[in-house]
Amino acid sequence: MSVGAIGLLYGLGTLLLMFSGMPIAFALGGIAVIFMFIFMPGASLDTVTLNVYEEMANITLLSIPLFILKGAAIGKSRAGADLYLAIHAWMHKIPGGLGIANIFASALFAAMSGSSPATCSAIGSAGIPEMRARGYSQRFAAGIIAAGGTLGILLPPSVVMILFAVAAEQSLGRLFLAGIGPGLLLVALFSIYAAFRYKKEYKEAHGIWQDGGAKSAYLDTTELTLAEKTRMLPRVLPFVTLLIGVMIALYGGYATPSETAGLGGVLALFLIAIIYKVWRPSQLSPILTSTLKESTMLMFIIGMSLLYSYVMSYLHISQSAAEAIVAMSLSKWALLTVILLLVVMLGFFLPPVSIILMTAPIILPPLKAAGFDLIWFGVVMTIVMEMGLIHPPVGLNIFVIKNIAPDIPLKEIIWGVIPFVGLMILAVLVICLIPGIATWLPDLVFGAAGK
Amino acid sequence: MSHGFELEGHGAAPTQPAGGVLGMLLKLQDRVNKAVLLLSMLAMLAACAILTGSVFLRYYFKAPTDWQDEMSVFLLVGAMFMCGAYVQSQRGHIGIEALAGFFSPVANRWRVLFCDVASFAFCAFFTWKTWSMLHEAFVEGHTTSSSWAPPLWIPYGLMTLGMTLLTLQILLQIFTSLSNKGTSK
Repeated sequence: MSVGAIGLLYGLGTLLLMFSGMPIAFALGGIAVIFMFIFMPGASLDTVTLNVYEEMANITLLSIPLFILKGAAIGKSRAGADLYLAIHAWMHKIPGGLGIANIFASALFAAMSGSSPATCSAIGSAGIPEMRARGYSQRFAAGIIAAGGTLGILLPPSVVMILFAVAAEQSLGRLFLAGIGPGLLLVALFSIYAAFRYKKEYKEAHGIWQDGGAKSAYLDTTELTLAEKTRMLPRVLPFVTLLIGVMIALYGGYATPSETAGLGGVLALFLIAIIYKVWRPSQLSPILTSTLKESTMLMFIIGMSLLYSYVMSYLHISQSAAEAIVAMSLSKWALLTVILLLVVMLGFFLPPVSIILMTAPIILPPLKAAGFDLIWFGVVMTIVMEMGLIHPPVGLNIFVIKNIAPDIPLKEIIWGVIPFVGLMILAVLVICLIPGIATWLPDLVFGAAGK
Repeated sequence: MSHGFELEGHGAAPTQPAGGVLGMLLKLQDRVNKAVLLLSMLAMLAACAILTGSVFLRYYFKAPTDWQDEMSVFLLVGAMFMCGAYVQSQRGHIGIEALAGFFSPVANRWRVLFCDVASFAFCAFFTWKTWSMLHEAFVEGHTTSSSWAPPLWIPYGLMTLGMTLLTLQILLQIFTSLSNKGTSK
């Protein structure tokens, strides 16, 4: 049988098992084992477990559960609400300042927790009721929080980027830094949109009031004294210090990425114990349980995805697919467009973890051959996968918002996130036109020659 | 990537029959899973402490360690595999449920049963191979290639135990599903 036919069968078998609803990890492992049995030497089946162990026994990959622990510790405390209130207190005078405060708080929280849904939940629980109380439309409020949450997988430390670094054999430190510029670009785009949208909604509310209608909460003004503003800071500064401290440990050369993950976990637990008195085993147990549930699920998918990729590579499926893409002689940007569209389509059904590990052996060689910087591509791919977090049918963040604000209709949430999906597409285009947004900072810190 | 965030109602344990041998086995598995979960929590905290400690030892006491990465790998790989059964008991290994809405409730029950049987077949095969790997590593005294060179039967043993528990968990879920089908007829 030709490699192409085997590859086609492999793809169809994967789709069949996955869409049956079988857990992704077992579906990937199962299809890999079936193909090993049929097309590979018998001895290869004896080493199947060794392959999985050797791929998983990688300290960089195993830093993922520790980063998740840090995120869960911060996410399950009141840190999100405190952060949001403090930023709001300092920004409420700016037009649209409340919406912008939510975006800033999401970005900071995302950088501390590394999690999109946890960011949505933590900032949204305080932010959505506050925005609605101040007259923001429910779709605007929901859109801001859903989009702000997506910064979680772009700003370091990002689990998605750890996987990309492993799959693409790129420097994790460089990739983490490359996410910062585009992350700030998205924060800026989201904030500009929030200010414009605020002005539009304010104008409408003002018009209704002038015509003798009801006075919207939009038209109320809030005054906070400097003392009130300053009182908000003590609970927030330790977490911002944690964020900066972890970055210094990593980029100052004091700790490896895995040590940074361990250090971040310990410091996060220490801070919630000191600030929020969360230290009793009964309080820590839900944090550790949810961390283990999430990590175990992810690490099983990662382990089996690596086995899946190994079989694909052994049977020359990935090499042939990569060669076929190169042979299509697409122009550089057409190639990138096709690959990103593929990522968007996969994002409808698959979590980013599986997308990266399953597609990396196929899409990275043609991209490399076309002259793309893989660190830059990792950032672009992450933004595209972020869109998957807020667009239907999966759109995890949409369901998180529905969970914390059940009275907002799903339709309103979806309409609310659409402008932000547009802004993310715009960000991808800007980063394509000006790659330096992603590559400037890593080049500055590590030197361009280190690529 | 929920990172510890769970939607309401997500992760609820499936209903279990109250009595009989199956009920006893499910209770036993539940206790084992909870004990394993507790040990895994400790392993995770230990890994955090070891990695943090190594940074302090290196910078404040000028005492670099050469074992912290391997020790952390053993603890974390062990915790992840050992928790596989607990996560399965909560149906926490995610799958694509996009087509579930297109099937009738009866067809969906058969679909879930097929998924469980297929998952069981894969996990049973994988478990069998982990036992072979453990046996070989133990008999032949395999160690890691580092200067510390700890025996490899330790992580392999945790992997084997975890996969065995996971396979048994899926088997119990299949029996529960069949028994529920029997009683609902």
